[in-house]
Parts: sequence; structure tokens; C-alpha cells
Amino acid sequence: MMKKILVLLLLAAPIILSSANSTVSGKDTKEESAKGSQEYVMGVDVKEFEKEYAKVHGNELKKMEEDGNPADFVLDDGKAMFHKVDGSKGKSCASCHGENGAKLKGIAISYPKYDASVDGGKGGILTIPMQINICREKDMGAKPWAYGKNEIVAVELFVKSLSNNMPIKVKTDGPASKFYEAGKKNFYTRLGEWNWNCAQCHVKYAGRYSRQELLPPAPLLGDHWPSYRLDWANTNTIQERFKGCIKNMRPKEIPEFETEFMRDLELYVTAQANGRLQHVPGFRR
Amino acid sequence: MAEIGKIMIKVPGTIKKGEVIPVKAMIVHPMETGQRKDAKTGNLIPEYYINDVKVYYGNDLVTSMNWGLAVSTNPFITFYLKADKAAPLKMSFKDNKGGAFEQTVQINPQ
Repeated sequence: MMKKILVLLLLAAPIILSSANSTVSGKDTKEESAKGSQEYVMGVDVKEFEKEYAKVHGNELKKMEEDGNPADFVLDDGKAMFHKVDGSKGKSCASCHGENGAKLKGIAISYPKYDASVDGGKGGILTIPMQINICREKDMGAKPWAYGKNEIVAVELFVKSLSNNMPIKVKTDGPASKFYEAGKKNFYTRLGEWNWNCAQCHVKYAGRYSRQELLPPAPLLGDHWPSYRLDWANTNTIQERFKGCIKNMRPKEIPEFETEFMRDLELYVTAQANGRLQHVPGFRR
Repeated sequence: MAEIGKIMIKVPGTIKKGEVIPVKAMIVHPMETGQRKDAKTGNLIPEYYINDVKVYYGNDLVTSMNWGLAVSTNPFITFYLKADKAAPLKMSFKDNKGGAFEQTVQINPQ
């Protein structure tokens, strides 16, 4: 009698286990992958999230930011580099773009943007770091800076700061629309050991806890870069943050800076913040 | 990321004579504890941190601090000062490798 029950249990085990799993991921994965990218329902709205965050964490991060954001030192460095002459043509950024970047005020809120000449003339998404290097090589005769390192982060921060408190206005229609759709697909692409995608944390389960931190919804992701992060004890860009998030998903490969994947994703994520006021440098955990 | 030794001192915009004001200061410094290992070589990264801080208000030494390896990277400190005279406030930092950094702000009570 016991033997019969045991055998029945063993046979039933796979069915019991799989039905327990499918509420979390199993069934969704196959159906979603079949449909391609699919939109999830936003788990929490921005105002609700900010209220909940304030209730749980108070305004601890805000107070730390007011006391002093170490990224302000990077901003000062960026301003100095903007005025420094570099390269064979004897120019600085300020030579073309005006003292203190006067001609670049309000420009950063439309980046990243479609540009017909990138990617060898194919046309693609142009980000500010890419533009800085194009200016350096073409107009200054200077060596391009390495992405994700001090100099380019500092100058990007300075350029973006000229558009502070202006609403983000990234174009997603016209020639940019196919790259926006590619970015959306990247946002919904499952990666890594657990088959996670960006949207699970930042759309579907936004507002829930991941360990001790609340997952922010998509509109809150793109309005504060470059940012200082306590985790890095350093200031860096949105693509560096993408690298970090993707590394946590444990895929076999992490995309490199300014690859098509990263630029399309940056377009999609920044576009989710359209309408929000830009506030750089950011200050996060 | 900015160069080591850059200092930012913040005092309130308007100060009344005799008022006790918060002074906030931040300095860029790695504050290496000497206990971290270099990922590639496996060797310990040597200690490199600020160990002595002195604050002068005019000619008076108002406070001195001994910092150690427990203080975090890019240290931030708030202290309170009775602003009873118009005088420069000078903060000087020294680290264990002989580096010395200082910054002065003018305190002008109304």
C-alpha cells in the first residue's frame, strides 16, 4: 500500500513541481518569446512609487545629495576640460560651442538621437559620448577618449548640466522609430542565468522589493545620468549602469559601450523619461 | 574620480553674528584601508588615508580630528561653528603618505 502511494507521488512530482513554477516564469517565457517583445502592465505608477519610497527610506538620499554630491567635483573637472585646448587644430570645445557651453544650452535633452551618418553611414542612434568623440576626431584633431572613463564622463556631465531642469524630449518617431522599437526589444530580451529582462523588474514588478531596495518604474530610470552611485563610490554614465544591471543577470557576454544594443536601449530608456525634468548629476545608492 | 585632495566647503548663505552654523566639508580621497586585495596580483593595496584634520577660524584652532581607516572614501563631515567674527575658516587635511590639502572660506556674519 505504502509502495503504491510512493510510486504515485514520484510519478506526480514533475506535474506538481511544474505547476508551482509556471506562476512565476515557466509558461510566460515560452509564450512571450514566441510573440517577440510584448508590453507588460506597469506595476506601480511614478507618484505612488515616490510616496512609498519616501515612506520606507525617508529622504535620506536626498539629504546626502544636498550635503554634497561628489559628482560636483566631476562637473567642475568637465567644465575645465571643456575649455582646455586639445588636438592638432588648437581648439577646445569652447572654441566652437561658446564660453561655458553657451551654445549647448538645452541640447542634451534631445539626446540620444537619430543621426544619418553614424554606423558607417547606415544611420543609427547618436549618444553624447559618441558625439564628443566625433567632435574630437573631426573638428579638433584630437584622439578619441575611452568610453566610461574620467574625461568623457566629466565632459558629458558638464554638457548635460547645461540643460538641467528642462523636460527631457527624446524623439522616437520618424527615422528614430525603428531604433526605438529595437531598444524596446532589448528592454524585453531575456538574458542570463535566470532568463530575466529589464521589464520584469522595471515594469511588471516595479514597486516591489529586490532585497532592501524598491524597484523603480521605467520612467524614473533615465532622467539623472551621469550619476554618482554609493555602490561605485564614483560617477559614471547610463551605459555603465546598464553593464552593471546586465552583469547581475549573469549572461555569457555583457555588451560593450556604444554598441547598437546599448545605444538603442539608451534611446528607449531615456524616452521613458520624456516629460520629466532632467536633473544631473544624480545621486543614488 | 576628480583629483585627490579636491575640497568643497559649504557654509550657510546668510549668517547672523553669534549664530551657531553647520559647516559641511567634503574631500576627494580614496581612504584605502590597507585591507583590500588587488584583484589581479592578489597583493594588499597599501593604506592611503587622511589621518589628520585641523580647522582654523581666524588664528584659533577650533577643532582637530584624527581619522583612521574606518572613514569612508571621499569623506564628508559636518561640524558646528559659532560664527562670532568675520574671519577666514581654513581646513587642512594631511594623509599618511605626506599629502597635504587645504581650503579656506570666508565667514562674514551680518
